[in-house]
Amino acid sequence: MYSLELEKIIQEIKKSASKQVLIQLPDGLKKGSNEIVDFIESKTNAKAFIWFGDCYGACDLPLGMDILGIDLIIQWGHNKFNKEEW
Amino acid sequence: MPRLLLIDAKWKGKIFLTNNLKKYLKEKNIKSIALFASVQFTNLNDFIKELEKNKIKVNITKAKRTNKNMQILGCDCDGDSFKDQIIKNSDLILYVGDGLFHPKALLLSQIKEKKESFKPVIIFDPISNKINEINKKDIDKQIQKKKRNLKMFINSKTIGILVTIKPGQQYFNSAKNLKEKLKENGKKSYIFIDNNINLSQLENYPFIHCWVNTACPRIGTDDIVNVEQPIINLKEAFNPIKALEELEN
Repeated sequence: MYSLELEKIIQEIKKSASKQVLIQLPDGLKKGSNEIVDFIESKTNAKAFIWFGDCYGACDLPLGMDILGIDLIIQWGHNKFNKEEW
Repeated sequence: MPRLLLIDAKWKGKIFLTNNLKKYLKEKNIKSIALFASVQFTNLNDFIKELEKNKIKVNITKAKRTNKNMQILGCDCDGDSFKDQIIKNSDLILYVGDGLFHPKALLLSQIKEKKESFKPVIIFDPISNKINEINKKDIDKQIQKKKRNLKMFINSKTIGILVTIKPGQQYFNSAKNLKEKLKENGKKSYIFIDNNINLSQLENYPFIHCWVNTACPRIGTDDIVNVEQPIINLKEAFNPIKALEELEN
């Protein structure tokens, strides 16, 4: 139903030589998160992990991932967010 | 911070002007619409052509926090959230997408409008092809609660300011500026920091008379309906009397 652009993410993982990838999905797409992890791990040498919690928007990115050695965060369902500064 | 890749997750189906939507627009004698969509559904070139073929003028703008014309986010819910004032110049608002969170932002953006100039939002769900109209009455509870909370804020002596560490919603400096402003106005305030603003935590701080949310503005419009403790949004806290007057219109 929705285009997950899996080939694009594989290219990005390979290009950036990411070793540990975190995937973050809105609730409606979470049920397919296992398939995305399996796909990433079958097509690349990267290990993939699933963000358990919320995914309200591009304003809502998991923090502290560098402590775990995550190289790349992939979030679905949102595009670039322009934060209002004031 | 790790690298970041954002994927729109576009809807793969074709979006077309259905007979029921065409009939609805015709029955209401709609000549112009303000068109918005969630990012999954912004491929609307053919849909727009069909509307124009049916002699409906399609008005498009860019919301402040988005990157694409037509796209709407839940936080673009203020009267000044859009580059152009297309809502005022359209007969109604047409939203393409599913769910209520995004189209309700289009109602909330008109919260200061008088009843006669308030435009309804028609939700067209391209997955089910169903249409649903929402109007000012659908945010009435929010408006009443906002008024009550603003009145309570004005009379409160001790304020709690909520700050999230989520990067796109973090307004720590604004919270500190507000604390100074409140001090000048004779109010004592404390700043509380968390990742998720879990409102069930509010009851643990009974010394706070009123809360100010600096995170997602929808906490101060939607979530307030479900909590007893008064919460207002950051912008309102800088000028609560003006915010209240605008709602009393």
